[in-house]
This record gives sequence, C-alpha cells and structure tokens, in this order.
Amino acid sequence: MGRVRSHNAEKVLERLEKKINRQIATSLAACVHCGNCSSCCHYVLANPDDPTYQPSYKADQLRKLFKRHVDWTGRVIPWWVKAKSVYTDEELEELKDVVFGKCTNCRRCSINCPMGVDHATFNRMARGLLVSVGIMPEGVAVVSKDQWEIGNQMGVLKEDYIDTLEWMEEELQEEFGNPEVKIPVDKMDCDIVYSINPREVKYDPRTIADAAKIFHLAGANWTMPSEGWDMTNFGLFSGDDDLGGAVGRRLYEKVEELRGGRLVISECGHGYRSTRCEAPNWGKIDVPFVMESSVITMLNYIKQGRIKVDKIRNEGSYTFHDSCNNARSCGLFEEPRELLNLVVSDIREMYPNRTENYCCTGGGGAMSMSEYTPLRLKSGKIKAEQLEATGANFVVTSCHNCVDGLTDIIRHYKLDMKVTQLVNLVAEALVIPEKVVVPEEEVPVEVEKPEEAAIFAGKKILVVDDEPDIRIFFTSVLEDNGATVIEASDGDQAIEMLRAEKPDLVTLDLNMPGKDGGQVFEAIRKDEELAQTRVCIVTGRPELRRLIYDRPVAPPEGYLDKPVDEETLIFNCRKILELG
Amino acid sequence: MATFEWKEVKIEVDEDGFMEEPEAWNESVALALASTEAVDDLTDDHWKVVNYLRDYYQQFGIAPMIRKLCKQSGFTLKEIYDMFPSGPAKGACKVAGLPKPTGCV
Repeated sequence: MGRVRSHNAEKVLERLEKKINRQIATSLAACVHCGNCSSCCHYVLANPDDPTYQPSYKADQLRKLFKRHVDWTGRVIPWWVKAKSVYTDEELEELKDVVFGKCTNCRRCSINCPMGVDHATFNRMARGLLVSVGIMPEGVAVVSKDQWEIGNQMGVLKEDYIDTLEWMEEELQEEFGNPEVKIPVDKMDCDIVYSINPREVKYDPRTIADAAKIFHLAGANWTMPSEGWDMTNFGLFSGDDDLGGAVGRRLYEKVEELRGGRLVISECGHGYRSTRCEAPNWGKIDVPFVMESSVITMLNYIKQGRIKVDKIRNEGSYTFHDSCNNARSCGLFEEPRELLNLVVSDIREMYPNRTENYCCTGGGGAMSMSEYTPLRLKSGKIKAEQLEATGANFVVTSCHNCVDGLTDIIRHYKLDMKVTQLVNLVAEALVIPEKVVVPEEEVPVEVEKPEEAAIFAGKKILVVDDEPDIRIFFTSVLEDNGATVIEASDGDQAIEMLRAEKPDLVTLDLNMPGKDGGQVFEAIRKDEELAQTRVCIVTGRPELRRLIYDRPVAPPEGYLDKPVDEETLIFNCRKILELG
Repeated sequence: MATFEWKEVKIEVDEDGFMEEPEAWNESVALALASTEAVDDLTDDHWKVVNYLRDYYQQFGIAPMIRKLCKQSGFTLKEIYDMFPSGPAKGACKVAGLPKPTGCV
C-alpha cells in the first residue's frame, strides 16, 4: 500500500513524465554536485549558511522526482540516487517557495556549470508543473490571467493604449512644432513594427515618445500594432509554455497581418528573449521576419548617419548593467555598450560584467511577487556592492525588470544612483536639425535682422510672369531682402496693378499668353503716369530682345536671362533701383 | 505582511510597503505612506493626484492609466514624476493606499 497522493501531486507527476525530454534527462543526470554553482548565485552569496538557496539543491527538488518516477536508477536503487516522490499540497507549496522565491532564473549558475547543467531550465520547468495545478504566487496568477484574457500583462484596454499613443503623438507634435510627426498605428507594409512593454503605456510612456522621436528623425517607415503589441511574456516566468506560445503568436500574427518587415522589441530583457528566442519554440511557430532589439536599431541609425547625437548632452558618469536575459541568454552585451559609448562621455565598467554580471534581483517575475521581496532585497547585497564600486551617477540597463529591480536595490542599500535606459539617453543626445527646433518666438528676431540691412527696404516691386514657380521664387527672394512684392500673371493684370500700385520696379516676363511683355513694356513707356517706372525684362528666349529694342521707346533699365539665380536677381534689381 | 507605524498611524503593509487593507486608508495614512516615498509634504497638488487615484480605484478596483491620471488631474507626466519620484505606479499609488500594481513594476 502506497501513501495516498493529493490530486495536485498526482497531476504534477503525470505532467512531469510528459515534460521530460532528452536534454533535461541528460542535464538531471549530469550534475556531480561539485558546488561550483553555489559560488555563482547571488542568493547563496547573501545566505551562505542556508543550503536551500544552492542551485544544486533547487535542482534536486526536480531531480528526486525524476529519479523516482522516470529514471530506471530510482526504481532499482532509490536510496542511492536520492529518489523521492511528492504526496501533499503542502509539499507543493514548499516547492513553490523554492522555485519562485529563491531563484530569478538568471542563469549565472547555468553558464558556469562545468557539466553544462542548466539549472534555470529545471527551475522554470518546476514552476510550470506547479502552475499547471494552479499553485503559484498570486502576482503571477493575476498577470498570467491578464495576458491570457486581455492580451497584455497589465490589462490595458485597446482604447486606452491608442489614446496614450495619441497623447504622446500630440506632445511630440508640440515639441517639434510639426503636425507631421506621427506615431503610426497599424500602418501597412512598414519596415518596422515596434512592440513595447505594457508598463510603458500604463505608467511611463516617456520611453514611447523617446522611441518615436528617434524613429521620426531617422526617417523610419514604422508603425505600432493596435493589438498584440505586448512583447513581454509571463510564460517565461511561470514556465507555462502554452501561455508563452500564445502571447508570442499574437504578436507574430499581427506583424504578418501588417506585412511588417521587421519586429523591433523595446528595451526589455525577458521580452526580447521570449519574443525573439523562446516563443517560436513554445508555440511551434515559424516566424518569417527578422526580430531585433531596439538597441540594435538605434545603434544602426547612428552608424548610418540617420540620426546625429551629441554625447555632451548626457552629463554625469554611467555604468552599464547587463540584463541576464539579454546578455546570458541572447548574447546581447557588446552592442548596448557600443551605443552607450556614442551617447555619454563618462563610462565606468561594472565588474563582473557581460555574461558574468550579477542579477538585478528583479528577474524571473520577482517584481510581481511581493511575498518574496525581503528575500530578493537581501540577495541584492552583491549587486549593491557592484553598483557602488563603479562610483557612477547612473546605471544604464536595457531591461524594464532591471530598471525596477535596480531601483529597489539602490533604495534599500541607500546608494546615490539613478537608473536609466538607452532609449532615454539616445533621445536626450539627439541633435535635432535646426529647422525643426526653431521656437516660434525667435522668428521675429530673425526677420528683423535682414530688415535692418534690407537691400530693398521701402521698395515696391511688381513681379510679372505667367509661371507660378518663377513668381514664387522672385517674390521670396525679393521679400527676404525687404521688398514689398506684388504679383501679376499676365499683361492686362500687370498694367492694372501698375496703375493701382505704382511700383518702383517691374520684373517683366516677355513670353506670356494674351498681351505679351513687349506690349506691356511699350504701354508703360507711353503712359505719362507710368513712364518713369523702372523695368527689368526677364526672358528665357534672348532672341525676343528685339521685341523690346525695336520699339520706339526708351530702353528698359535692365535685362535678365532665365534661368535666374538668387544672386543675379538681387544684384540686377539693386543696380536698377540704385543707379537706374 | 508587516506592520508599519508612523506617528499615530499603524497599518498592515505588504513586503513592498503597499497597504494590505486599502479600505483602512485615510489622510493620516497618506501622510505616513508619503514619508516612505521621499515626499515630505503633501501639497494641494499631491492631494489632487492622490484623491483621483483613490476615486478611480474605488470605482474600478485597479490603478488608472497614467494617461487618465494626467488628463483628469491636469498635470503633465513630468509634474507627476516631480511630485512622486518613484513614479505613478510605485509612488503615487502607494500613497493613495492602493495595493501594489500587478506585473513588471
């Protein structure tokens, strides 16, 4: 007679047998309990006397079940291989506190294991087994539910999301003084579809505005999706592959529907890892487009000269914190440093760094599990020491979880440091082309200057030409130099305006429909009232000069051949008005 | 769960310092919670934000979007962050007695 097992324990064991694959079986068998992983774990470093924090101990919680129920050794020599089963819900609750409360799945132990054992994978799998029977921290349950049911982890409704994007768009239009600056939504056939973390839209959309500003100045053809825009994925934290696949699928399908060229993922470590590396496997999805971190996008814009940055604008000293998911799981650690180096001047490296960096303590969904916050903050001792040793004013990270995890550590350990992200620094360093930024109130000042030295100040000039482009060009050049300009598009109108306005000078096109320039010129010279008006003939056909000079009247004061450039126009008109 | 005491105020808070029983909130509690958020004094502007958050929470059971908060209170994003350095989620919501917002915050 065996012991009676609870329904949940029964289900967990059933599922365990289905989830074990060859890689996991090999990893579970490979551990030699050398203890190397313990020296790598930030939880162990802060709790050296408590063996329950050791990665190998945590792995043993899964291993004992594997040995007992899957591996043959557990059936033959259970006492030797430490095979054990699970019977009660209390035992499952204890397991929950280990796998959710004492590990952030940061994988520092995994990459340092001489046997290649990925402890974090075990931990995630154990979480998934518990989640499958509804045993999980409340925070994880709430967030998973929102991600399943509403489509994003903060339950943001579509209209609120769109409303917020429009709000940021208005702010940008105001900043640029340009109603053409857009945050496009669901635009088809864009090069870039930009996905974000719901916290950006719910609590701090400044990162969305910063990204939009960068896309705008780079001249990017981009859009944000109206649905499926959440690139975070609680499936990674909860071990629920079904959720992970479903969340990824929503985003991939939306990008395909929009026929987007590339999916760009904002600075979020677990979102990047889940979306780019894991969800295609969880959901068994063939993703046909390129996926990249916004860090790469921004770096390329600067390298290609599409945006210009000035690092002087970011004052103070900076250090870079590698997110575990970006650096250890996705190899993204040189590009953010390259980018940081382009937007700030004073960088202090953190040690250890890159794949060896210590966890922010907020990973693995820890930020949503308040019950474990004291454990988390205690385990952040090594992180606090690392941060403090840099002496930097700011710690930069490409992960939203790290932003919150580090903020908590800085506060708990009373460090004098602020947390920021690359998108904020790039946006701050942007050199905005002058025509975009000239504030309206400065315009009159600029207009006044040429007026003081204006060549044609107080002069009225009539521009006669049937081609609108020529009239616009002449008018703008002459007005820029202080003249009052009036325009006529044919001969009759010209004569009317001459009589009414009495201009100081007429620039007169010869070849016009109706009364041509020659006839207008003769009419001016023969009219007593207008005879003294100065005339500058303008024509693209020099052979028509005879139309003027053959006439029995005083010759014109000037003559210009088309095409006319700005300098020639100013020089000739000035000569006529001052000397003629 | 822990007990947080400040002057005469004594409340139950979670491990992140958010109220366990939002219905026990009152203005003295707000002042007590503000003291943990580097907000020394609650000005009229602070109260405007806090009262809006309270009302919204009592009506809908969740924290509002920052868009709604700014629109209804008339403050800019920057002004909210200046008032509550930890931001709307962790700073303002905490002072208003809301439970910790869910998700990656």
